[in-house]
Amino acid sequence: MKAGPSQEEIRRHNLGTLLRHVHLGGSTSRAVLADRMGLNRSTILGLVSELSSAGLIREELPQDTGRAGRPSLVVRPESDRVYVLAFDVGVDRLAAARIGLGGVFLGRRETPWPRGGFDSGEVADVLAGFARQLMDTARDGTLCVGLGAAVRGLVRRSDGVVRSAAHIGWKEEEFGEDLTRRLGLGLPVSVENEANLGAVAEHLRGAGTGCQDLLYLHGDIGIGGGIIAGGQLLGGDGGYGGEIGHMVVNPRGGRPCGCGARGCLESEAGERALLQAARRDPSATGRDAVRAVVEAADRGDISARAALHDVGDWLGIAVGGLVNILNPRTVIFGGTLREVFLGSAAQIRSRINSHALGAAREHLRLRVGELGDDAVLVGAAELAFSEILVGPLETLARTGA
Amino acid sequence: MTATPILRLRGIEKSFGPVQVLHDVAFDVHPGEVTALVGDNGAGKSTLVKCIGGIHPFDGGEYWFEGERVQVHSPRDAAAMGVEIVYQDLALCDNLDIVQNMFLGREKRRGLVLDDATMEEMAARTLEGLSVRTVKSIRQQVSSLSGGQRQTVAIAKAVLWNSKVVVLDEPTAALGVAQTAQVLELVRRLADNGLAVVLISHNMNDVFAVSDRIAALYLGRMAAQVKASDVTHSQIVELITSGRSGDLGLVHTNGATP
Ligand SMILES: Nc1ncnc2c1ncn2[C@@H]1O[C@H](COP(=O)(O)OP(=O)(O)O)[C@@H](O)[C@H]1O
Ligand SMILES: [Mg+2]
Ligand SMILES: [Zn+2]
Repeated sequence: MKAGPSQEEIRRHNLGTLLRHVHLGGSTSRAVLADRMGLNRSTILGLVSELSSAGLIREELPQDTGRAGRPSLVVRPESDRVYVLAFDVGVDRLAAARIGLGGVFLGRRETPWPRGGFDSGEVADVLAGFARQLMDTARDGTLCVGLGAAVRGLVRRSDGVVRSAAHIGWKEEEFGEDLTRRLGLGLPVSVENEANLGAVAEHLRGAGTGCQDLLYLHGDIGIGGGIIAGGQLLGGDGGYGGEIGHMVVNPRGGRPCGCGARGCLESEAGERALLQAARRDPSATGRDAVRAVVEAADRGDISARAALHDVGDWLGIAVGGLVNILNPRTVIFGGTLREVFLGSAAQIRSRINSHALGAAREHLRLRVGELGDDAVLVGAAELAFSEILVGPLETLARTGA
Repeated sequence: MTATPILRLRGIEKSFGPVQVLHDVAFDVHPGEVTALVGDNGAGKSTLVKCIGGIHPFDGGEYWFEGERVQVHSPRDAAAMGVEIVYQDLALCDNLDIVQNMFLGREKRRGLVLDDATMEEMAARTLEGLSVRTVKSIRQQVSSLSGGQRQTVAIAKAVLWNSKVVVLDEPTAALGVAQTAQVLELVRRLADNGLAVVLISHNMNDVFAVSDRIAALYLGRMAAQVKASDVTHSQIVELITSGRSGDLGLVHTNGATP
């Protein structure tokens, strides 16, 4: 039988928790930290000095108090010194960012990439090149503590293998391992589904801050989904959970989906369905094309209005069903679904209200993403930070600081 | 969401000469929520809002604010309680800059001279607090702003005074899709920050995108006030066009809401 946690375990836990508070909440006074963590001030003082001598946080005068009197010191993350690299394999762009503790963007690189098939090795090469450029701009004495990558596909939790990513034509790609090797930083790259990371990002830093149960729907070429339940990302058995886009809403008359099924939310309400129903020029794709449909509907164009009406129906049906199962507090529409939501909210809300159980929907909030196109990179950075926020000193020791 | 309304109207009556415009109107507004006020053209939305803002006196009825019966005889009375209205015409001065507009008629002075530094700081802090990043400089003339930016400045002006209730009369009516989105996000943020917001709009997508409650006026009477999680688009359309939808709305015999 195991006894309670040791002093050492408690200390480690408290160090991680304090660092997480400062990482997510920004500059915070010791008094507030003591209050939030339910610890006494001398314990907080000890934790703060340990983390500051490790170079993870710093105490300083607040920048602008706007109030008279002697301001008290605040604890802030060493954003310039401690950072992670975040990677995003999009459907039509590759992006990388250097993001400091506290969530500060310190630099980014991005390149458009033609839609369609990508070679995984080529992608890893480009991203590794970005990483080197980003690290070259970092001052001496700075420290990379984690690596995270987002992919639009199903990622096996145990080893980061991308099982399938239909929009970029990947199958069973050992992408994480490949990128880890090409980077050669002595740190593993954690790989995760892009909408799951968007969900994490909006949960920690965006429209879902403070909300423990949320659904995130991300529109780009397809519809990605991420679910936070009880404050945790819902991955399921193997890590493949949360694929809201492949929830079948229209099995009989529905359109074929890239996944092989028929009538998935993605095939009924995704970009292609919207653009087709609105009779748009098939060569125009992406956010501008989606926005043009919403604009045309606003001016009264009937096919655009009908298309948004249908898409809103399917979105409402899918979300209504999920509300019954998961009882989220917030549903967040990100990517191009932000525009779609604003153009069909009446339809979406009405469907939810007629399909979801009264008690399950009574406090439901519908929101658009607050992080915009950065959501995925922010989420990848949070993934990369997760280790140092659990065991700050151990992680530093491992990264050789 | 809270159960007690911050602003509560009961039995409101209003006529312009022989023309009756509002009859027995009840209206509740809650902190932390967006309450949409909808109704056909001429239903009396703007009139109701002008009464709330102290521009028009009520002919009868009760005005309650934070649990107390109040008398509101002027916009000054309304502002003193923390009620601010952004009217349809915005009433911004084109030839003045953003800061000057935000403080128009309520300038800060140090002795006899204007306290520009304080006003600038308050304006900047308000815009920042609303996460407004679309205006380049707060010393920019209002004439150089887009429709959405003007609306943003008008809203910022309304929240500058630690207001508790902000009423927006058709803020998105003249805007394109992208600017409407910005204004709606701002509206939502105000409520999420704890303000009570009233939004008048004809666009049902705008209404359903941001509101927590929907109040439908029909020919000067409040047909129903319902939670946005309890109604459908078609029910709201019915309330707007006929004052009734199923068990919701006006009972035609005596005009009382069930
Ligand atoms: N100052 C006024 N004098 C006379 N009639 C008015 C005045 N203001 C509004 N009305 C009338 O009151 C009715 C309601 O108008 P209004 O409140 O502007 O409606 P809404 O904003 O719902 O379109 C209309 O019939 C309008 O003509
Ligand atoms: Mg009006
Ligand atoms: Zn599918």
